[in-house]
Amino acid sequence: MSALALCVASGVRLALHPFLGPVMPGVAFCIAAAMVEYFFGLIPSLTVMLLGLGIADFLFVPPYGQIAVIDRADIMLAISYPLVTLSTITLIERLRRSQFSTELIAAVALSRYEMLLRADNERALSRRAVDETHRLVRHLPHYHDAIILLQAVERSAEHGANEMAPGRLFANAHPDDIKRLQRGLQPGRHRVRMASGDGMHRLVECICERFTTHAGEFLILRRID
Amino acid sequence: MTKETPALNASTFYPGSDHAVLMLHGLSSSPLEMRHLARYLNSEGLTTCAPNLHGYSAGTPELRMEAWVAAAVREFDALSARYPRVSVCGLSMGATLALALVHERPTAQAIVLLSVTLDYDGWAMPWYRFLLGWAYYTPLRHRWRYHEEAPFGLRNEALRAKIGRAMQRNDLSEVGPSSISLPALHEASRLAASVKKSLAALKNDCLLIHAIDDETSSPRNAQFVAANVGSTVLRTIYLDDSYHMITSDNEREIVARETAVFLKESEAASSAEGGAKPVVSKALARRLRQMAAIGK
Repeated sequence: MSALALCVASGVRLALHPFLGPVMPGVAFCIAAAMVEYFFGLIPSLTVMLLGLGIADFLFVPPYGQIAVIDRADIMLAISYPLVTLSTITLIERLRRSQFSTELIAAVALSRYEMLLRADNERALSRRAVDETHRLVRHLPHYHDAIILLQAVERSAEHGANEMAPGRLFANAHPDDIKRLQRGLQPGRHRVRMASGDGMHRLVECICERFTTHAGEFLILRRID
Repeated sequence: MTKETPALNASTFYPGSDHAVLMLHGLSSSPLEMRHLARYLNSEGLTTCAPNLHGYSAGTPELRMEAWVAAAVREFDALSARYPRVSVCGLSMGATLALALVHERPTAQAIVLLSVTLDYDGWAMPWYRFLLGWAYYTPLRHRWRYHEEAPFGLRNEALRAKIGRAMQRNDLSEVGPSSISLPALHEASRLAASVKKSLAALKNDCLLIHAIDDETSSPRNAQFVAANVGSTVLRTIYLDDSYHMITSDNEREIVARETAVFLKESEAASSAEGGAKPVVSKALARRLRQMAAIGK
């Protein structure tokens, strides 16, 4: 990258040489060193500066094409060019370092924000579990006489292997319907055949609700009165 | 001549659930570095194993980096034979070794990189570090050792003073060795160079935790890994109150908690039952949408 910058700077300065002559022999290399410092860092820019000094002295300080001859123009270049270029590079380097430091601090802030959000999600989940537990605690005594069955949902359990507890109306439900529900009880409305007083079974509207509590997930199927 | 007692560099194993975590300590150090993290992960239900690796750990003969990787692979295979899920967690050069291990064993569940060290370019590194690569090929190879100095990777001043005293008494402390040989540093450089080439092939869930004021390996190491690793699930956490030894320094609790959370999330996300925790926080959902939009 330093070599490319030097080539471009030399090309530009050579193109302008008919107009500029021996004036400002190091400006193109100073700009190149500053740009390389901004985009690529300190070492490449110092390389550009040092090699640029030699090229500028050789090509653009009279007598042209000779580096062994040292006169006032050479001394002027050797003093002014490094002074200006080093000052520029130093300032840009300071800005780059503070920019890097600021970006890291921003990265820390972002990390902490994301940790906070994950903790917030945990808190929200816990609160939801508490609310659901309270709802379950209220639900059980309120619909005590209408409950057909309760099922604990195990994520790892295969269909039909979930633990089930009978409710007050469990014995009244048709055995085929109980088997069907055991295989795959889902939240929502269901129609279940329930025994009536005359020994016949009649279709009854039921609802299954899901409760996500601290102790796990439960499904409760009850008759809708 | 080493003065450390055998107990300081003994392997540690804490049995727990069927998700095991292989914990790799830093260069020429001991499993003691990982003790706090191993205990915390175990208290969260995970099985943890911090082995003493022949040729890599303190108190064993120094071997080439291929032997380090082979020893780590053996430990991984031993855990894989007993546990269905094995994750790898490494600290410092142990993180680089973990990357090499996961390249050899891509079946690993997740990889946790703590203060990953691909270059020793932190602010406390000596100015002449670039000469060490050449010094290896001189008679200095067997004479010169890099001696640890304050701050010993610790921002916590009380702990730093304690470690300073421990390093005067022994060659080994709970945050690492008091000195590292030139051949070990040379092999570490070779390991880092090989790992840099294979980062893109790594597809496992990856967690990076790095301190921005790390005095041994600058945050550019973590940035390099984050920019080049092929993982689709990548979480990067930067700390601002620790130096290099983040498992022992001021933010060790954060490191432990985030590591445990990440490993559990990785396990849940990959389980057949889809046990990943739902996102109910609106702020988190918004942030995840933003990140997904950036990733497009």
